[in-house]
Amino acid sequence: MSFKHNGVEIENTFAEGFSMWGSRVIITASTQRWADIAAINMTGFATSVIACDCEAGIESRILPDDSPDGRPGTAVMVYGFSRGKLSESMLSRMGQCVLTCPSTAVYNGLPEESADEMMDIGKSIRFFGDGYQVKMRLGDGWQQRQRFWRIPVMQGEFLVEEKIGAKKAVAGGNFLIMGDTEENTLRAAEEAVDAIHQVPGVVTPFPGGLCRSGSKVGSAYKFLRASTNTPYCPSIKNSFKDSKVPKDVNSVIEVVINGFDETSVMKAMGVGVDAATKAGGVKWITAVNFEGKLGKFKMSLKESLKGV
Amino acid sequence: MKKIVLTPRGFSSIPIVAEVISPDVFAGKSLNEIRNLPIHYGNETVPMKEYIHAQGKVAEKSGEQLIVIDGDARHIKQIGTKMSAGRIVVQGFAGMHLGTQMSGGDITVTGNVLDWAGAEMKGGLIRVLGDAGNLLGAAYRGSSEGMTGGCIVVTGSAGSEVGSFMRRGMIVVLGNTGDFTGVHMNGGEIFIFGKPGKRAGAQAMGNGGFIACLNGADELLPTYRYETTYVPTFMRIYMKQLYNKLGITNAPQYIDVPMKRYRGDLAVGGTAEILVL
Repeated sequence: MSFKHNGVEIENTFAEGFSMWGSRVIITASTQRWADIAAINMTGFATSVIACDCEAGIESRILPDDSPDGRPGTAVMVYGFSRGKLSESMLSRMGQCVLTCPSTAVYNGLPEESADEMMDIGKSIRFFGDGYQVKMRLGDGWQQRQRFWRIPVMQGEFLVEEKIGAKKAVAGGNFLIMGDTEENTLRAAEEAVDAIHQVPGVVTPFPGGLCRSGSKVGSAYKFLRASTNTPYCPSIKNSFKDSKVPKDVNSVIEVVINGFDETSVMKAMGVGVDAATKAGGVKWITAVNFEGKLGKFKMSLKESLKGV
Repeated sequence: MKKIVLTPRGFSSIPIVAEVISPDVFAGKSLNEIRNLPIHYGNETVPMKEYIHAQGKVAEKSGEQLIVIDGDARHIKQIGTKMSAGRIVVQGFAGMHLGTQMSGGDITVTGNVLDWAGAEMKGGLIRVLGDAGNLLGAAYRGSSEGMTGGCIVVTGSAGSEVGSFMRRGMIVVLGNTGDFTGVHMNGGEIFIFGKPGKRAGAQAMGNGGFIACLNGADELLPTYRYETTYVPTFMRIYMKQLYNKLGITNAPQYIDVPMKRYRGDLAVGGTAEILVL
């Protein structure tokens, strides 16, 4: 069963999402360049929890007028399988990649009223100050109460908010773009990711937002728990008996989306599919699911396109 | 908000103690009950109506009550003491102990305010558009805790011992402050857009407390050690708050300016900071 959108066949199926814990921080720096550098480092090696400690990505750039300290910033989202895992990843990544990066400061990007829990990230990082850290209090008794830590570092001071919000979130939003050539498929995928980045509260954790390998659970080898997504590899479409690659398709790229809630992920899927189908050369779009065995979120491609 | 206007029946050299002038006390009462609230005139207890005329509408909840004092109230002490919500506007001068131990709401004084304003304040906002006396936001004698929350903004200058024994909260003085600003301070922030008097931060312990002298300081205690000159990122957060929440329009000009950082008071092993522009 399929339907057409912008003249492209869309399989009437769903992406199967699963629960993770997510958080969001805003990294500011003296220039956008340094905010981006810290964000890129913090979100490195965080594509999939298959082999990474977490999944992470850059959500958006923050203009100076909208940032907590009036400097340019970059919003980063990190996802972990549990609150504890998320907290560990946040702590180590912030400590190694942001604390070390010149001129940066870190602020909570998920306000307490929207969060399920608050993690003591800044409160833990403060010990790096070796006793010289200074607690900064804001708003006691007359504004919203906030707490920060000022940690002396060689360049000057690292400022970090004491608590970072975390909430139960949705991972595994996805769709596959199947095109006639590698060039057209990549271009369509880029258009999709650019469109997705306009949606707040979501990230695409893979390189440039795209996963060109895909993966499936298990392999022909006992020692390998995940392997290439054989049904969707065009180069073996006539050798692999259960291939799902249509005849006129020669390249497939997956877009993976994590977000704070199902609505945001669905919206991102919708705008992504819409952008991809406008790019030209796309023959077919589908989504990956495990017939409901992996996660509780069934995000239909058809539903995602409503309202686009 | 429902407004009650209080008009003092002339100035008196004998002080009036009127801690009943508070939205918490007024709310839910009839106008007649308010007029008969007890105040102290010298050593006598008298109904408020004998010295202060009350007119207007009473709110059911303190948060919806506005009290306007229309006239010279420098002889009236303890206006807004222990208030937790609502608003008081003093159109003129206000007497001693204004807003002491208040925990919420806000008080605006269009003229000057005498000593002990905001003493041991816990929350809320006090704005003084004129000058403030001594012991602004201070601890009462014998107490080890002054302000523990809230914010006091003085457009003019303030007297001695501003923020003594301060633990939390913020004091902003757009003019100068007197001697012993932040004495015994153990937390909280004091911003001085003018200059502090002598012995600022004497015996201050730290606990995140600092005094920012945004127009320099003529003299600091020798028990404050110079550490460095740097551009503190955290100052951006405060200046943004001063600009956005308190309407201090020149606050942004203090962003990204190098400040000298002093740490002390070493006489008591303190880690408080004095930041000097």
